[in-house]
Amino acid sequence: MMMRCLPSLLTAAAALSLSTVAFAQTPAPAPNPPQGGGIGWSKDVPKIAEGEWKGARLSDGQPDVSGHWSNTIANHSNFTDPQGGAPGEKPRAAGLPRDQRAPSRVSDPADGQIPYLPAARAAQKDFADNFANPTKPQYIEPLARCAPGGVPKSLYWHGYEIRQYPGYVLFFFNSGTRIIRLDGEPHLPANIKLWNADSRGHWEGNTLVVDVSNNNAKALLARTGDFASENVHVVERYTFDNDGKRYNYVATFEDPSVYSRPWTATIPARRYSETDPAGGEWHYEARVANRPGKPPLHERMERICVENNGPFGGGAVGVPLTGAIIGR
Amino acid sequence: MRHHFMGRHAGLLLAGLATSALLGPAAYAQTKAASAPKPAITAQASAQIPRLASGKPDFSGIWQTLSEADYDLEPHSGRRDAPPSAGVVEGGKIPYLQGALAKKQSNFEARSKDDPRLKCWALGVPRSVYYPAPFQIFQRDRDLTLVHQLGHQVRTIHTNETLHPESVESNFWLGDSRGHWEGDTLVVDVTNANDETWLDRAGNYHSEAIHVVERWSFIDKNTISYSATIDDKDVFSRPWTVNVVLNRREKGFELIEDYCFTLPYDEFYPPKGGK
Repeated sequence: MMMRCLPSLLTAAAALSLSTVAFAQTPAPAPNPPQGGGIGWSKDVPKIAEGEWKGARLSDGQPDVSGHWSNTIANHSNFTDPQGGAPGEKPRAAGLPRDQRAPSRVSDPADGQIPYLPAARAAQKDFADNFANPTKPQYIEPLARCAPGGVPKSLYWHGYEIRQYPGYVLFFFNSGTRIIRLDGEPHLPANIKLWNADSRGHWEGNTLVVDVSNNNAKALLARTGDFASENVHVVERYTFDNDGKRYNYVATFEDPSVYSRPWTATIPARRYSETDPAGGEWHYEARVANRPGKPPLHERMERICVENNGPFGGGAVGVPLTGAIIGR
Repeated sequence: MRHHFMGRHAGLLLAGLATSALLGPAAYAQTKAASAPKPAITAQASAQIPRLASGKPDFSGIWQTLSEADYDLEPHSGRRDAPPSAGVVEGGKIPYLQGALAKKQSNFEARSKDDPRLKCWALGVPRSVYYPAPFQIFQRDRDLTLVHQLGHQVRTIHTNETLHPESVESNFWLGDSRGHWEGDTLVVDVTNANDETWLDRAGNYHSEAIHVVERWSFIDKNTISYSATIDDKDVFSRPWTVNVVLNRREKGFELIEDYCFTLPYDEFYPPKGGK
């Protein structure tokens, strides 16, 4: 099996141990502690105003935001208490007063909670209660099986790269690729449901606005089991700071079959560049390109996960690695 | 919505028919004369191929082969699971080492269950290129990015004068690709591949020693001539070459993600509250 391991599997394992170790070694979350060259344990969510884009542009007029990015407030262990640990984990930070950890990713409603309908809340709680000791396949967080991270979880899993082309913005995630089309064409037929949904966007000044539908909702939002249904409609606003160093993701989730009202997620992100150390960091999955005698240049590594099909937490059965899955 | 769905596919089908009617003979000639020198692109066609601002050919777009290469690279009659084909290997036969042919034959016998494609895993290079599903090329001066519809496959071909890595943690499904331009031909050197992939549905295979040199060039603005020379000292007695034609998909066609390796477990999500 080790021969078959992929970088993503190794880094997934590293991320798991890191999340524990990093918490264990952190006496108290100081402002922007220097965790491993910029690993994100900030508890601040900076304000970035929508407005004019004054930075560089691509040949087709898009603001040039290409490069390596990552979220800054811990991973997908916990959606509404990002630094509070996954269900069953007891990071030291969890014992601190709530305001000493990063705020909920839910910025509206003001209580930081997803406004679930009662049955949906029960389903989310059932997943969270069984996450640490999964006794059925449904309690395994799908990323642990190599499923794409989906919307929006991919943005707070590992670091990722944005590449832009005339008419397109592409996100290359650790698990999955999102193609955002800017050509004004309509969404795919409604019966087509996708892990990364279907994304149609346009630029408004410094803000990329993306309409997201056709979501199969299988990716979940976090290890806490937060979720939507395939009826979910998301409107995302990626607002980039004119200094090119940060953006905020502000997205409205609407799904009358799961939520009692629309709610908003806010997820801060920062750019990583050659001034940050590459490699070994799940927040900055880049490698130093081999070009002797020239300045450092970071490049993305292949991220193909097809065998990371083991269970989290033990006990649950993963996915068979042999035998046919498709007949085409 | 149903009407919309039908409309898309009807359009796709018609365009597909038109494309194969138009390009079939050329593809056939290419295959039949696989060992003959490729016809040079005409000056008129050269003037019409898309180019980046830098002047380099611009392969941006959605491409797919009409060839039977993925069924079996070598010449073969029609059989239950493969249409007939004159093959895409220059000279016809793949030059297996004497001791390596038995594994190919056992792969062939077990192909209906052992072909890695059946798990929706990454197909490797060059198979990912001639597997009969679309892939989209996104191109910048520094690189070309190939996003394949099937599975997790994304490959970056670096064209920024960087070298293969000195070492890697583990080999890659799609290898490490470094390209350069020879006139209007993109030449790509592919190394650091793992040995999990097959070369086709007929069980042709390789080891981790595989080294591929690809050549990408336009025949006309909607057609790419693709060749891959495969060297693997552990499996083959000499380098050998496949030639395949890639056709641009019709206007309006879009990739639809196909993470089919999730099919065994996607029924478990989203949470259903213990049910």
